[in-house]
Amino acid sequence: MNKKNLIEELKLTFADIRVNEDKNDTIKIHAKKEQVKTILLYLKNYGYDHLALVSCVDWINKKEFELIYILTSYNDNNETYKETGDIYLKTKISRDKSEVETVIGVFENAEPYEREIHELFGINFRGHPRLIPLFLEREYDVPPFRKDFDTRKYVEDFFNSIPVIPEEKA
Amino acid sequence: MDREQVVKALKDSGKWGHKYSLWAVYFCTGCGIIEIPPSITSRWDAERFGVIPVATPRQANLFLITGYVSVKTLRAIIRTYEQMGEPKYTVGFGSCPINGGMYWDSYNTIKKLDKYIPIDGWIAGCMPRPEAVFVAVTHLWTLIDKGMANAYKKYRKQYKYYRKNQEMALGKLEWPPLYPIK
Amino acid sequence: MVVLYGLGSILIAFMIGILFVGIARKVRARVHWRYGPPLYQPLIDIVKLFHQQSVSHGFVFDFGIFFSLTGAIVTLFFIPIGNIVPLRESGGLLVVLYLMLIAPFGIALSSVEAANPNASIGISRKFILALGYEIPFLLIILSVMTYYGTISFAEIVEMQRESTWGIISMPITGIAFLLILPAMMGLKPFDQIGAPQEISSGPEVEYGGIYLAMSRIQHIFLVFINIALFVSLFLGGGPEPLTFFLKMLPVFFIVLIVSTVYPRFRIEQAFRFCVRWPTILAFLGLLFVVWR
Repeated sequence: MNKKNLIEELKLTFADIRVNEDKNDTIKIHAKKEQVKTILLYLKNYGYDHLALVSCVDWINKKEFELIYILTSYNDNNETYKETGDIYLKTKISRDKSEVETVIGVFENAEPYEREIHELFGINFRGHPRLIPLFLEREYDVPPFRKDFDTRKYVEDFFNSIPVIPEEKA
Repeated sequence: MDREQVVKALKDSGKWGHKYSLWAVYFCTGCGIIEIPPSITSRWDAERFGVIPVATPRQANLFLITGYVSVKTLRAIIRTYEQMGEPKYTVGFGSCPINGGMYWDSYNTIKKLDKYIPIDGWIAGCMPRPEAVFVAVTHLWTLIDKGMANAYKKYRKQYKYYRKNQEMALGKLEWPPLYPIK
Repeated sequence: MVVLYGLGSILIAFMIGILFVGIARKVRARVHWRYGPPLYQPLIDIVKLFHQQSVSHGFVFDFGIFFSLTGAIVTLFFIPIGNIVPLRESGGLLVVLYLMLIAPFGIALSSVEAANPNASIGISRKFILALGYEIPFLLIILSVMTYYGTISFAEIVEMQRESTWGIISMPITGIAFLLILPAMMGLKPFDQIGAPQEISSGPEVEYGGIYLAMSRIQHIFLVFINIALFVSLFLGGGPEPLTFFLKMLPVFFIVLIVSTVYPRFRIEQAFRFCVRWPTILAFLGLLFVVWR
């Protein structure tokens, strides 16, 4: 009952979004990238106050990235959450000039996730305070998680080109 | 074990000491460290071989590199290895230090660890069982007896090549060279 | 004569100390249902450490550890082992009281030079614990001196041989001393000063090679000295070294079994324990002795 209410209210409040449920009855919301912050703020006020993950998928054939935000609730008394489970929010951005607004104003814990996505996919988050590398040590021409990054060629060029230590002369 | 052969121990007490008192530095390198606590506790007792874990590299003379080595870990491994006192022995555990293992085409792991620090022996497996720790230790005893466990001497002699490889992989190194480079 | 007794004292203390530390490791292993190293494993460790390269951090670093080992050996010269007492007529109980603090002081000197924060934390814990166990220790020594009326070890042993053992005539003081023995020896549950899991071995974090060998030898001597003190003052330490050693064994086993079973205290729990029950018991023992 609460789940249908939530879907109805979402469709009424925001124009231009698509809400559907997949085969596991999980709610997936597809929105444009400019509406992401307002939808997140709305859901946070509804009771989904924990951003669990920010993730990214590389659709190379359609030439776009898809950002996914997963929302859950920490509150045990949240009746809506007991029916819906986690909520997924998906947006698509273009692959050539990939820039999107950061959601740190709504959820402060999105900072390391966005830092990781910037380092591994090359997406720029406007307004992020610290876009410095988190895991990697070197600069790469093509960010490593993109599907046009050739891992075997990189290993061949970089790691296998380091020479073996020569045996000492007796 | 020839721990009880007193004449052999008195003839070369250094070798006797190095063999039967190998202290392993407890640096949990990669995913393979999950096999080390079972080999220290009750079921497969490593203390009867003389192997105990110590907390600091200054007190240790055995370095077990278990699991994959990412580039960030390599920095820490080199610093730990250079702080240990000679003679020191290293054993590569698992398939990943040998030739990359499961991560052979990864963009951020080291494929052959032999190019950066010297290694005495390798144990293959993903992961090797705790009994493989004991195989490594007893094989190391044979090597020390014959005088063939000389990886640390190779590091001293060929240090200029090791340092160049380390700089190629890691970029700028914050620590000065351990031995003077001519 | 003094030199001969001195060398004999050091040799006996070293051998018995190595045997005790070896027994400790073996018993601990058997309690854990595993086999454990052989009994002479500490000897192999010390021999290996003498052949290992050591890194020095400066003059005060070398001096500190050497100073602490010297303090332990000098304290050894005043403790009677059977009838072997190298320095018989000088001092006795009073000298032992302040010589036993030279060893941690030496380690503190070298920890300061090592400039590792783990070493500083470890040595500050050692001094807090030393403050804790010195309070009941002073009361115990005071009650022993009052009861026997002398400060010389040889006379105390003589008087115990004529009448009864110290632990029968001063039972409360004996129990108080047994309670603080693990704290003085640095065994669990008072192990916080050199714990590998918590503070990376405390003051021993920067020792390697010969410095670690000297630190281990100093620890072996301290184990021996503390148990020898208890046996001399309360169990009427024997006429020759063999009975002395046989009397040391049960005391060592009691301390060892306690140390194998208990986990580690936090430093404030250890200090609170040392100031509470052993102090009350030692104070009661002192009142008991004075009113006799």
